[in-house]
Parts: sequence; structure tokens; C-alpha cells
Amino acid sequence: METPRIDIWYGIAEIMDFGYPQNLSPEILKLYITQEGVRSPFSSKPKDKPVPNATLQVTGAVGWRREGLAYKKNEVFLDIVESVNLLMSSKGNVLRCDVTGKVLMKCFLSGMPDLKLGLNDKIGLEKESEMKSRPAKSGKTIELDDVTFHQCVNLTRFNSEKTVSFVPPDGEFELMKYRITEGVNLPFRVLPTIKELGRTRMEVNVKVKSVFGAKMFALGVVVKIPVPKQTAKTNFQVTTGRAKYNPSIDCLVWKIRKFPGQTESTLSAEIELISTMGEKKSWTRPPIQMEFQVPMFTASGLRVRFLKVWEKSGYNTVEWVRYITKAGSYEIRC
Amino acid sequence: MAPPAASQRYPSPSQPSGKSEVSDLKTQLRQLAGSRAPGVDDSKRDLYKKVISYMTIGIDVSSVFGEMVMCSATSDIVLKKMCYLYVGNYAKGNPDLSLLTINFLQRDCKDEDPMIRGLALRSLCSLRVPNLVEYLVGPLGSGLKDNNSYVRTIAVTGVLKLYHISPSTCIDADFPPTLKSLMLHDSDAQVVANCLSALQEIWSLEASHSEEACREKESLLSKPVIYYFLNRIKDFNEWAQCLILELAVKYVPSDSNDIFDIMNLLEDRLQHANGAVVLATVKVFLQLTLSMTDVHQQVYERIKSPLLTLVSSGSPEQSYAILSHLHLLVVRAPFIFAADYKHFYCQYNEPSYVKKLKLEMLTAVANESNTYEIVTELCEYAANVDIAIARESIRAVGKIALQQYDVNAIVDRLLQFLEMEKDYVTAETLVLVKDLLRKYPQWSHDCISVVGSISSKNIQEPKGKAALIWMLGEYAQDMSDAPYILENLIENWEEEHSAEVRLHLLTAAMKCFFKRAPETQKALGIALAAGVADFHQDVHDRALFYYRVLQYDVHVAERVVSPPKQAVSVFADTQSSEIKDRIFDEFNSLSVIYQKPSYMFTDKEHRGPFEFSDELGNISITPEASSDIVPAQQYEANDKDLLLGIDEKDDNKGLSSNNGSAYSAPSLENSSNITSQMQELAISGPATSATTPQSSFGFDDLLGLGLSTAPAPTPTPPLLKLNPRAALDPGAFQQKWRQLPLSLTQECSVNPQGIAALTVPQSLIRHMQSHSIHCIASGGQSPNFKFFFFAQKESEPSNYLAECIINTSSAKAQIKVKADEQSTSQAFTTVFETALSKFGMP
Repeated sequence: METPRIDIWYGIAEIMDFGYPQNLSPEILKLYITQEGVRSPFSSKPKDKPVPNATLQVTGAVGWRREGLAYKKNEVFLDIVESVNLLMSSKGNVLRCDVTGKVLMKCFLSGMPDLKLGLNDKIGLEKESEMKSRPAKSGKTIELDDVTFHQCVNLTRFNSEKTVSFVPPDGEFELMKYRITEGVNLPFRVLPTIKELGRTRMEVNVKVKSVFGAKMFALGVVVKIPVPKQTAKTNFQVTTGRAKYNPSIDCLVWKIRKFPGQTESTLSAEIELISTMGEKKSWTRPPIQMEFQVPMFTASGLRVRFLKVWEKSGYNTVEWVRYITKAGSYEIRC
Repeated sequence: MAPPAASQRYPSPSQPSGKSEVSDLKTQLRQLAGSRAPGVDDSKRDLYKKVISYMTIGIDVSSVFGEMVMCSATSDIVLKKMCYLYVGNYAKGNPDLSLLTINFLQRDCKDEDPMIRGLALRSLCSLRVPNLVEYLVGPLGSGLKDNNSYVRTIAVTGVLKLYHISPSTCIDADFPPTLKSLMLHDSDAQVVANCLSALQEIWSLEASHSEEACREKESLLSKPVIYYFLNRIKDFNEWAQCLILELAVKYVPSDSNDIFDIMNLLEDRLQHANGAVVLATVKVFLQLTLSMTDVHQQVYERIKSPLLTLVSSGSPEQSYAILSHLHLLVVRAPFIFAADYKHFYCQYNEPSYVKKLKLEMLTAVANESNTYEIVTELCEYAANVDIAIARESIRAVGKIALQQYDVNAIVDRLLQFLEMEKDYVTAETLVLVKDLLRKYPQWSHDCISVVGSISSKNIQEPKGKAALIWMLGEYAQDMSDAPYILENLIENWEEEHSAEVRLHLLTAAMKCFFKRAPETQKALGIALAAGVADFHQDVHDRALFYYRVLQYDVHVAERVVSPPKQAVSVFADTQSSEIKDRIFDEFNSLSVIYQKPSYMFTDKEHRGPFEFSDELGNISITPEASSDIVPAQQYEANDKDLLLGIDEKDDNKGLSSNNGSAYSAPSLENSSNITSQMQELAISGPATSATTPQSSFGFDDLLGLGLSTAPAPTPTPPLLKLNPRAALDPGAFQQKWRQLPLSLTQECSVNPQGIAALTVPQSLIRHMQSHSIHCIASGGQSPNFKFFFFAQKESEPSNYLAECIINTSSAKAQIKVKADEQSTSQAFTTVFETALSKFGMP
């Protein structure tokens, strides 16, 4: 336990000197720590091996990347992760809907590569067609409301040429974040009907429709249907998946492991309530909430058009691109 | 490895056995000190680790200081690090022994490995032993010239550390100029950033006693320096960028081109992933464009979407911080955000502090085009499980109703709330309906019919109950069974726990009595009797007051308690615009999150050199000017209820229209001061009223008495004469100050005798009072004083309000005047200036 303690102490000294933040890049800080932490004490004689050029990188021009990295296989992983936030009224009107997306990257690249990312966003495409003086290719273009970038992205170049170019840090990082409010493709439609039959009985009918491509499927779909606190007995049928009454959150929890596109599935439940004297007025219904993940689908329609890697040694790289759409707060009032 | 059992067995220094462990270490270290045998470094490491681990768990190992230093002659970097750590921790307590470390630290400062040079220099500067500072100067000087940037960054911070140990050594060694040239010429961004923070700190501390430092401090804000930083801003890390942006906020641009240049340079910072950088940039933009209204608006448009992105990404805590800033902007410029109202819709799972802020923003952005959607959404929240939020949303609906002209639909919604039959919903709604009626009396019929159907038994909350009672009293003639409901309530007087409700019951019974005497007479009698016997002072006093007024003259009583009401046009804002501006100036700081300017939550010693001691709202009332106001203010402070306060004011107005000068009766607001009120009445009561003393309640006299007309105001005298006994309570002053437009701003000089006399604000206050200009609040300290004055016309209830800022070093006074009557404000200013110019004259 002693060694990490000293390392933490030193790590903090490097991060902050006399109350002024100095260096917060984990990549660089690692250089200070690995010297003794894991490798010591028996690799001994640190004098013999050259001290990694920590002091140079600490303040180098590319503060977030070490020099002299080498990988046998040069790979880039790029994930576009979107979360959809939805608020739908009981009549099926979309009250509020937006997508917050992240572009996550994992880079295992040698040397000092220069990367360029092209997306099918509107501004980028327009700029490109303007520069090549040919009309923009038809197809869907996405209008991003706002974008923020990791510090490695050359913002001046983004503003002038609208391309995302950068020297990536090593390993995993979040390249950009964006927000979209227009033209969101909702992956699921939920049609609830709740009938209160007298004071002790309720009928709940929830239909969930998947509206993404038939070849795709959603994973880990969970629909939480609220029921009153005084629920005594529940009885339900589902066309797919399994449902359960969870009294601790006062919800019917309906789980569907795999939900193919362009299909629909229903839950119908009968609920018996304990009749109470106090609660004479109807129960205020919280919204139905949904969780899901849809791989290879983006609610915004955003796609990677290209990801180019340049390095002076000219090695070949393998690029992997994944898309996934998750539920943020996906709420349907009923 | 050290057996961890040792530290577990002796976890605290209080255990005596820790001592023997330490002395064991001591002997072992001593044995190793001289040894040069191979493998000695490894055994030293183990021992050092033990020492450090004892140190971290709180055992005092300072006694091995000498041994540690002896063993420190090593080339092993790991050992060195541990040794530095140990020395840094104990040097301060062992100044004599620390001298021993100087030698090896100085040697390490010349090591060929830059890392060791850096670490040694940092440790050397962290010793914090004042009599060793002479040894610091040399290594620091060479550290600043080191060819390795890592060593330079540490040396720069080292200079700052040295300054804090011994400012004179630092200045004498000429370090600040060296730092300055390093700052302007070094190629490494971190070195430059450290220079900037060190210089800022050194020069602002020096500035108080050195003119040169003052100049240097200013020079950091000069155009070339600012542009030098802004052009390079991309090279810096996020934190240094924030530092530079903070500096840029203080820069005063020379012209509009300058402003646009800076904004162009910084625009891409808005896309930065770091929220701190974005907010700091936003602050620069906002401050730069303050004077350019249209550009300022464009800035709002531009920063809107980066801020909204920051809100939607990240933890609730982060989005709360950003939302608070957005909230500030929304309140300042609601129309710009009107189209984005959907972003402020609450999510079901959000924490309630976020929801509350969002509700406030929804209220702020509501306008004609989006009110329907917003109110629909707010009505959904009213059914929220979270009761606090449900209440807030009902209040929000009410606020929107109060700020809009077309309230038709909203009133219906409010009335629907009453049908939800939830206690808290009903209570909140009643309060709102009451406020609405005060602003829009024309809605009374719709509201009253619904309110009348509510059974008072279902309302438990005092505020809701008070509101209902107020309406019963106010609209007694429209509600057929109002007297009977009141009577029921009065019969349960004993069970009514809230003094507020009892006070309202008294007033309502009075009002109802004036409208429907025969039906209420009995109830009023019971109420007054119960009130007089009440243990609560205010209730007792009010009952007694009502009783005596009735006894004196029923008509006077009616004019006091139930005068014809004017619709309230504007409800008082809770925060003055000055406070809001101050918060805006402190954008990107905690002030925004607390919604208070920093002086309200920081200790005095951390505040800037000049801050007004307080704003109007909570300013210390100077005893000279308004000793009679103090109790009134305390009263208001005790009873935060707006309704009650206004009620009292209504009463006040009724009375004062009677004796011809609004707000002139000094203690009318103070219900604990009934006797003086009674005297006032006796003096100024209309002559027409019969003054026959009445032994009983005198109810039989009631019928047949008409309203006597108030005496006509005397014509305005040609010369402005001020009322020497004018009085105004701070609340009314504050409200007027906000409502009235600025009629005049004047700068004048104060004569030197005056400046000499103005050592404390009180002297001027006394002087001005002798000219019938009264001080309501004052603050500040030399050289800046700030005063708020008011005065009244001799014969009319026309007020003049003035803010006067006096700078004693420049002998200038700045006067802002606001007046009820715009036409006479010039005359008042003349009077004011004349009075001011005589200040200090024998």
C-alpha cells in the first residue's frame, strides 16, 4: 500500500503546484508514476534505464500525446454513441426531443499521426462541395445544433474548412460531442392506454413499435410502466419478453432482450388495487420510461463518411466504426 | 516490502509503542547511512517507505530527520522522491536541521537529469523556512534560465513561493522583471502561464505599497500583452486558457474594432469541450459588448447553443452549474430564449434542484407565443409526485399569469387546480388566485364563484387559509355566505395555530362587517374579544387597534381597514436590479450559483478593496435618519408574508390619503405601535367626525353614517420646500427606486472642507438632514462613500429619491435623482447640490 500512496502524493504535486493547475493529462502523468509504482521495487537501478523524456512531453507542443509510440498493428476504433431524450404527451405529441451524441475514439497508432474525420453533417458537406465546386451529393445531411471538440482538434481549421482534423491522444478519448434537435428518428413508438375501471381495478395496455430498419434490432429493451402505490395484484400477458411487477418502484417492468426492427409487441395487464378511504382522487400518473440500445442505428442519421490517417512513415491502418443509439430519458406520458 | 502489520498495529500516534518503532527505524537508518555496499539502496527504500507510511498515518517521525538527511546521498530517483517528500513535510518544524538538507538539494539542482533538477528545486522552495531563503535565490535564478522547460515551470512557481516566504528577498533578487521577460519570450506555454499567475499574484500584493508594481499590474492588461496571449491561446492547457480569459475580461478595449478582433480570436473557444473554457469565453464576450446593445444581443444568440449543449451533457451537478448561468442570461434577456423554451422542460428523473431552476426559466421566457405550451407543461408538473416541485410549478403558472395580459386561459387552469383536491395544490392555488385578484380585480366574479365552493375545512396550510380568508373579507358582498364561513372560522379561533391566519381573520371580519354589518356584527365581536385575549403580540395589538378605531369612529375605521383598492400594477421583485447587475459582473463564479453577489457570502478580508457594505435591501439603517423606521423594518423582516405586508400598506394608504401625505406617518406600518397610531388619528382625523366617546362597541351607531370626504390638498407652493419630517420606509424606498425612471444624473465637486469632514458617512447624513434631506442607507469606506437619500415636498406626498456617490480622493460627487414628479426633479437637484456644497462649512 505504501508505494501507491507516494505516487498519489507525487501525482498531485505534478497536477497542482502551489494551487495552480499544471498538468492534467493522464497520459503525461503516467510517465511520472510508472517509474516506481508497478515496476519497482525489483526492477531496481532506475539510473541505468533512461528516464523517459517526461520533462519534454510535459510541455511539448502536442501536450496530449507522447512521442515515440509504436504499435505492431495500427488500429483506430471509432464509436458514435447517441442518446435520445424524448418527452411525449399522452396524446402522442412530441413535446421535446433531442439527441446528444458523442464520438468516442480508441487509437492505437504509432508515431504522430494526423487524422481527418468526415461526417455527413450539413455544414461540412456544403463546405466541401463548395471547395470542390461540384454540387453536393444527394442524400441525407444532418444539421448539428452545436458541436464541442476535444482539445486535440484544430478548431481554427474546423471553423475555416469545416473538417475535423486532429492529432489524437493515445488510447481512449472523447473526440467530440454534438446536439441535434431537428429531424430525429425515434427508434420506438409507445402507445399506452390506461383505463381505470372503478376504484379497485385498472387495465393497462401498452404497445411498443420499433420503427428502425427491419434488419436491425434493439438490445436490452426495458419498459417501465407506472402503477399506483396501492397495487395489490397484477395479471399480465406479453407478446414477447418478460414482465414483472416491481413494488419498490411502483412499476411494471417489462424486459425484452432482443427487439427486431419493424415489429411490435404488446403488454396487457389487469391491475387490482387495494381500496383506500384516504386517496379519494385519481392517482397522478408518472410517465412510462424506456431503456434500450440499438446498435448500428443513429437517431440523428449521422454517419462517418471517411476517417483518414496520415503519418510520415505511411503505415496502413485498420479503422473500425460502430454506431449505437441508447435511450437517454425516454418518457411517454400516459 | 514492509510488513503492513506494523502500521495496523500502531495506527495512531497516541499509542506509545509507535515510539519504539520510530527509534528502531532511526538505528537502522543510521547503520545504512555511511554504507556503500551493493543493494543498500533497496534496504533504504524499504526503510524510507516505512517512514513515509508512518508519516501519512499521522505518526510523528520528525525525530529521524537527521538520519534521513544523512541517507539522502544517493543517486536513486525513487529514494530521492521519498526523501524530498519527507523533508518537505518536516522542514518547517525543524528549521535548524533543514539547513542540512540545503546542501544535497542544492547539489541536486545541478543534476544532469532535468527531472531531478525540477524535483529538487520544488522541494527546496517548499521548505518554508524563512532563514533559508538566501539559499533559494541562486538555484531559482539558474532554474529560470534552465534549458529544460519542466525545470523552468517549477522555478517560476518557486519564485512565487519565495515571495510568500519573504517578499523583500524576491523583489531584491529582481525576479519579477525576469518573470516578465520569460512570460513574453518563453516558447513553452506552461512556463508562460505560470509566469502570468505568479506575476498577477506578486504585483497585486505589491500594488498597495509600490507604484511601480501598480504600473506593472496595469501593463499586464495592455493591448500588446493581451493580444500576445490571445493569439497563442491554443497552445495553453485548459486551465491556463481560463487564466488568460479571466485576464481578457479585465481588458478595456480601445474601440469597436478591438472588440471584434478579440471576439474573432476567441470564437472557436466556444467549441471547446471544457465547460470552464466555454464559460470564461462567454464572460469575455458578454463583458466586451456591454456597451453595444445590438452586438450584445448577437452574443446571446451565439452563446446560446454551446451553453445548451453543456447543460444536456454531463452530470446533473454540472448541468446545474451551467443552468444557473443560463438562468441569469435568460432573466436578463428572456426574449432571446423564448423559442428555446422546450430545453427547459423538466425530465421526470432530474433532481429537484435542476427542476426548480428550469421552472424559473420557463416562467421567465413565457411570452405571447409560447405561453400556451409552457402553461400546459407546467400543469403536468402540478401533478408531480415531488410536492415541492408541484408547488413550484403552480407558483410558476401564477407568475406567468401575473406577467401576461391575456390571462383568460390561465385563470381557468388555476381554477382547475382547485378541482384536483390535493391540499397543497389547493393552498398554493388560493394564494395565486388572491394575487391575481389583486392585480386583475375584473376576474373576481369567475374566481369568487369557484373559491366560494371550497370548504375551508379542507385547507390546512396557513398561507392558503390566509388567502381564502382575505378573499372572503375582500369580496364579502359577492359571496353570499362569506359572513357565515367567517363566523365558523372565528368560532374555531382557539384551534387556529397560525398567528398569520388569526390576523387575517380579524381583518376579514372587519371588512365583512363594513359591507354586511348586521350579519357580521356578532362574529366581529367574538373575533375582537378573542383577538384581544390572544397571546400573540401582533394579534393582540391588531385586535386592540381595531377595537379602539371602531370605538373612536366607525368611518375612520372603515377608511383604515377597508379603503377602496387600487389594482397592484407591479409586484415587487425579490432582488434589486443592482444586485442582479453585480451578479452578472461576477459571471462564471459561485455568485451565479448562489444567486448572490460575492460580498454576501465571503468574509470581509477576502473582499476587494472597495465594496459597498450592503445594498439597499439589507443595508444598515443609519440611526440618525430613521430611528422610527427600524422597528417597522424589523416587523417586515419577522413577517415575510407579502400579503400581510401589502395589506398593511393598503391600510396605510387609506389613512394617509386621509391626512394628506402618503407615507408620512412614520410608524403606521408598525402594528406594535398602536398608541402612536391612535394619536396620529386623533390629530389628523377629519373634523366632521363625531368624537363622542363610546363605552360599548357602539355598533348601533354604525348605520346611517356616510363617508366623509378627505380635505382637498393645498396648492403647490412655487418654491420647492421640503418636509423636514419626511419619512419613508426602506421597503417603499426600494420599490420606488426600482419603479421610477432616472430623471437626472449630475456630477459636482465637493469642497475640500466637506471632504475633510467626511471621515465617516454619519457626518454628511446629519448635515443633509438639517436641509430636510434624509438618508435611508449609506455604506462604503474611504475613499468611496455611497448614500441613498430621500426627501418629500412640504405639502404633498411627492417623493424625491437620490443616490449619491462621493469619492473623497477626487472630491467628486455623482448624484442620481428619481422623483415622483419629473417636473420638479431639477429643482430638487438644485436644492440637493446647494445643501451638499454647504457641507463642511462652519
